[in-house]
Amino acid sequence: MKLLKLALNSLLERKMRSLLTMLGIIIGVAAVYAMLVIGNGAKDQIMDSLGGINSRSISLSPNWTRGRASNRKPYRRFTESDVDQIRDIRGAEAVSGLVSSSESVVVPGTDSQTDIRGTDQDYLTANDMSLISGRGLVPADLEFSRTVAVLGSSTAERLFGKSYPIGATVVIKRIPFEVVGVLDKYEAQWSRGNDENDFIMIPRSTMRARISGDDWLVKNKVDNIQVVGETTESLTFIETEVDSILRRSRNLSAADAPDFRIFNFSANRQQRAQGQQMFTILLASIGVITLIVGGVGVMNIMLVSVAERTREIGLRMSVGARGSDILLQFLVEALVLCAIGGAIGLALGYGAGEFAERSSNVGNEAVLKIRHSAPTAMLAFGSALFTGVVFGFLPARRASRLNPVEALRHE
Amino acid sequence: MIVTRNLRKTYLLGGQEIHALDGVDLTVPEGQFLAVIGSSGSGKSTLMNMLGGLDKPDTGEVEINGQNIVKLGLRRLARFRNETLGFVFQSFQLLPRQTALGNVTLPLTYRRPSEPNAKDAAQAALEDVGLGDRMLNKPTQLSGGQQQRVAIARALVGKPKLLLADEPTGALDSKTSDSIMALLVRLSREGLTIVLITHDHEVANYADRIVTMRDGRIVEDVINEKAAA
Repeated sequence: MKLLKLALNSLLERKMRSLLTMLGIIIGVAAVYAMLVIGNGAKDQIMDSLGGINSRSISLSPNWTRGRASNRKPYRRFTESDVDQIRDIRGAEAVSGLVSSSESVVVPGTDSQTDIRGTDQDYLTANDMSLISGRGLVPADLEFSRTVAVLGSSTAERLFGKSYPIGATVVIKRIPFEVVGVLDKYEAQWSRGNDENDFIMIPRSTMRARISGDDWLVKNKVDNIQVVGETTESLTFIETEVDSILRRSRNLSAADAPDFRIFNFSANRQQRAQGQQMFTILLASIGVITLIVGGVGVMNIMLVSVAERTREIGLRMSVGARGSDILLQFLVEALVLCAIGGAIGLALGYGAGEFAERSSNVGNEAVLKIRHSAPTAMLAFGSALFTGVVFGFLPARRASRLNPVEALRHE
Repeated sequence: MIVTRNLRKTYLLGGQEIHALDGVDLTVPEGQFLAVIGSSGSGKSTLMNMLGGLDKPDTGEVEINGQNIVKLGLRRLARFRNETLGFVFQSFQLLPRQTALGNVTLPLTYRRPSEPNAKDAAQAALEDVGLGDRMLNKPTQLSGGQQQRVAIARALVGKPKLLLADEPTGALDSKTSDSIMALLVRLSREGLTIVLITHDHEVANYADRIVTMRDGRIVEDVINEKAAA
């Protein structure tokens, strides 16, 4: 307590100098903190998207031919038989194939282009969607190619407004479908810019037979397939199984380049998270370098302070101060300097983080997310104290080792 | 009681050996006011540093109150200075940004276990040297004589057995010097052992005993009848 007061007095006696010395620490801590919260925030964003079904999902798509966008087409499409075989893999909880196209949809009074998804009973599970009323697709719908439709929440609202849609008829490409279910509003993990709730689900078999038509090369085409494993760990096994099933159906040996892609959300996210980690470390090291420069400033000023107060040190020793008392006095002084600088720097870093987040707003959405946290603050503040100890020690030790006789004679 | 036995100290100065102390044997009984007189380079300051435990002799012993301080480690030495000694310097050595009271309290802040009534003791010490009304003044607001009184109060606050005064009047005019010396004489009469280092015979004359040094040796040692009277 006494030491703290002594240190504070000593710093207050030289306000300007203390402030300038602190500046290095202030900027250093502010930089460390701001960089860490920005880095953490970015990591959170990635990890958030890993939550839920995505951490257990892989998605399969065929490779597409190169060339002008309008001319591109898949090398070879998946088929119903692929879906059936994949569904038999141990650990596969939901396997859903999809054939989609945009078609004209008519109910009395409206006529619009809508995203039609020919799919199956597993589609809702695979996409973490749920029904708000009616029923979803069942295997029998596919077996008998029934003309039934399940509406996305936006579609239901757009076509039917407040009236009850179940049992109503929608006409897709001139074929009437009976509405059997409506989906709950669904929050897309990442939006492609269009309304993720504006689509109509129909049985995949009906889709092929009556809406989109089949592929002329392969029978019973499926555009892409989603597989959800029971656990994240099961995905590795599922991936190898899927790979061998698809290679078999396409007569590809293990050595051939695949003409399909297996996209693992979880692995992809983790990779991005790791990249983000590197980015955070990079950002934080900028702060650390600033802090080191600040620390050298502290050391410099403390050395000046020791030199200036040589006589004081000599006197203190002559009245009974031990070397350790002197060491502590100067160390505490450096620490107080860094602690005050650290506190101001923390406040500044907090502000800088907030500013970064607000100024990155696009519409209402912040592109740069930040996450304040007590451990991060403690880390930044602790690094200031650490700087104080490291760079205050040398001057303090020099002071404690002065010869009192010479110190007293010092001019 | 102070006893030094065969104290020797040699410095190397520009490749030349300087015998600062060349076999000093000195005994100072308790309560004596001793003046050590000599020109500069006679070794008197070195002697005082030895007595104060600020410097170590090459050979010989310094015994104060039965304790050989030459053999003490740095920590015990610091404690010894804090509890047994009081220093008074020519240039006062006050902390410029502290008040008189703060300066006088300083030695007690290093006392172990800590002194609970440090402030009271410092106030009493300042009143004792006649500065009861200037306690909150900073050194720059005090005259030279007053500053030296603050320094003496600082030396006394820890109730030392021995006061070491190194040219305490060296920076003062003669009238102020007289009053400072009168104060030291009074403290001596109250039973404090004082060793005064000076080159000024007039100042030395206040002491009970005058030891003259030259080239690191004691060349004269007389009882001062005039002061005793």
